[in-house]
Amino acid sequence: MKTNYEQGNSLWKDARRRLMHNRASMASLIFLVLMVLACFVLPLFPCIANPNATNLSNIAADCSWAHPFGTDQLGRDLLARVLYGGRISLLVGVVATVVSFIIGLSYGLVSGYVGGRTDALMMRTVDVLFALPFIVLVIVFSLSIEEPSRELTSWVVENTGWSRESVAPILGLVPLFIAIGALGWLTLARIVRTQTLEIKSQEYVLAARSLGLGHLRILFCHIAPNLLGTVVVYTTLAVPGIMLTESTLSFIGLGVRAPNSSWGTLIKEGADRMEASPELLFFPALFFCLTLLALNFLGDGLRDALDPKSAKD
Amino acid sequence: MIKLLFKRLGQGVLVIFVLQTITFFLVRLLPGNPFLGERKLPEHVMAQLNALYGLDQSALVQYGNYWQGILCHGDFGPSLVREGVQVADIIAQAFPVSLWLGVLGMGIAILLGIPAGMMAAYWRNRWPDALFMLLAMAGICIPSFVIAPIFGLTLGLHVPGLSVAGWDDALCAVLPALTLGLINAAYIARLTRGGMVEVLSADFIRTARAKGVRAGRLLFVHALRSGLLPAVSYLGPAFAALITGSFVVETCFQVPGMGLHFVNATTDRDYFLIQGLVFCYGVLIVIANLVVDLVLVALNPRLRSQGAA
Repeated sequence: MKTNYEQGNSLWKDARRRLMHNRASMASLIFLVLMVLACFVLPLFPCIANPNATNLSNIAADCSWAHPFGTDQLGRDLLARVLYGGRISLLVGVVATVVSFIIGLSYGLVSGYVGGRTDALMMRTVDVLFALPFIVLVIVFSLSIEEPSRELTSWVVENTGWSRESVAPILGLVPLFIAIGALGWLTLARIVRTQTLEIKSQEYVLAARSLGLGHLRILFCHIAPNLLGTVVVYTTLAVPGIMLTESTLSFIGLGVRAPNSSWGTLIKEGADRMEASPELLFFPALFFCLTLLALNFLGDGLRDALDPKSAKD
Repeated sequence: MIKLLFKRLGQGVLVIFVLQTITFFLVRLLPGNPFLGERKLPEHVMAQLNALYGLDQSALVQYGNYWQGILCHGDFGPSLVREGVQVADIIAQAFPVSLWLGVLGMGIAILLGIPAGMMAAYWRNRWPDALFMLLAMAGICIPSFVIAPIFGLTLGLHVPGLSVAGWDDALCAVLPALTLGLINAAYIARLTRGGMVEVLSADFIRTARAKGVRAGRLLFVHALRSGLLPAVSYLGPAFAALITGSFVVETCFQVPGMGLHFVNATTDRDYFLIQGLVFCYGVLIVIANLVVDLVLVALNPRLRSQGAA
């Protein structure tokens, strides 16, 4: 048990060293940390205006000290709106990724470990689902579970005593979390299955079996930790894709709705008014693109660090 | 080869069936209904409309009727929102628009993406590689809904002849096709580079180099065939997505293609139109995947024996 731990430690230590030497990845990591702090912590301070406070005497203002990014067509502070929008975008990106991560990991593990006919059936199912048009289904699915999620909101309000204003914005995102997450796990399931097939024929799994460990314990304590590297890499690279899906939906008006706004809805509002005030498009788009860029660079760096074999290309 | 074809065809039919079933039942869970227009209809009118379109029957009966309509009469039903218009007519009008746009966009993407990827792989770790991959990364991270309005504002309003919205003459296709092309070129360039880098480090390329094969012949005759494999597997589904309409680009430029109709149909809850469009989408994606499989087999002889076995 002890040697096992030390081996694992050195793999991650190696990976960390390689990652630290990758300048683009480290810059991306720092950028992402700052972005998360800016979106989640900075708005707690009073220097950031209320993103929904309208001021009709100060519409479409230029950049100034009071409004660093200017104001929109209703006089709302753009900086505050971009930061709050980032909250929603990052939240959807991370939560939907976690949902698809859980489904994909367990599905792939079971399929690869059980093998045989179960595996064949499970993988054919994935093949069929894979051929379905992803974004079409996300649209239809997220709209069709809106009603149940509204009921969930009422239920939570009644049973917990929280005010509707405080829970509605978060629970309003639940259809998106579920729809994007429930449909985005297919690639991960395939990757995990292939790795599981490889790992389960290794001697240490046989040793664990002969020690009399149960299947679940072998799966989650012995196999899962060893494919964590691949899974981490894939998951990091999946976040920008999922954020892109969310903002695409929001842009065409089928994703995040009022009172919430994400970077996608802000970009939409900005695009509608870009001739008169281009900064309404520029700032949300800049924040969004830089975040995607940083996530991609970080994912590439993690792949190079955790999977040096494929990194040679 | 034949066996592979039949296997894929069988799988394709299953895909279309599953897709249609999921869509059918999900669509009926959507909140609201197609007859909630600006004017609120009296209840008896609503009931009559529901009866007229068979929406008052149980979901299973409707489901049966729907398949019967498609399989026996090739009939997708009427549009519930636009009175007197058949879903098939809408698709017949919208599909050529999306097809033309998709072909143009994909053409641009291939013409830009594959040469860029090849050059990046050939001059790996030198400045062309860094330059093209930086551009490709930018193409991936700047979404189409940012590029489209910027193109509209900069090129559309200032270059004479180009238009930013609508679909009246040939030049209307320029900006939407360019947007679609640039986004896809980025993915194609990355995939081509990956595939070519792998091939260029293979033994047979080293042998060819040692024999004194010229760079051009080496790239285009020896390496390109297998170097293209990753890009080809991307092209199929991407092409299917393009010709069935890109939601964002068609919405931005108000191109009356399938994507715009789909977005409008979901907001209007036009059940039959959604189902019809998704059916088309399913058929096209199955065909595209089939073509990709055949092209992959043609490009990669190793797959041929597997398919036969």
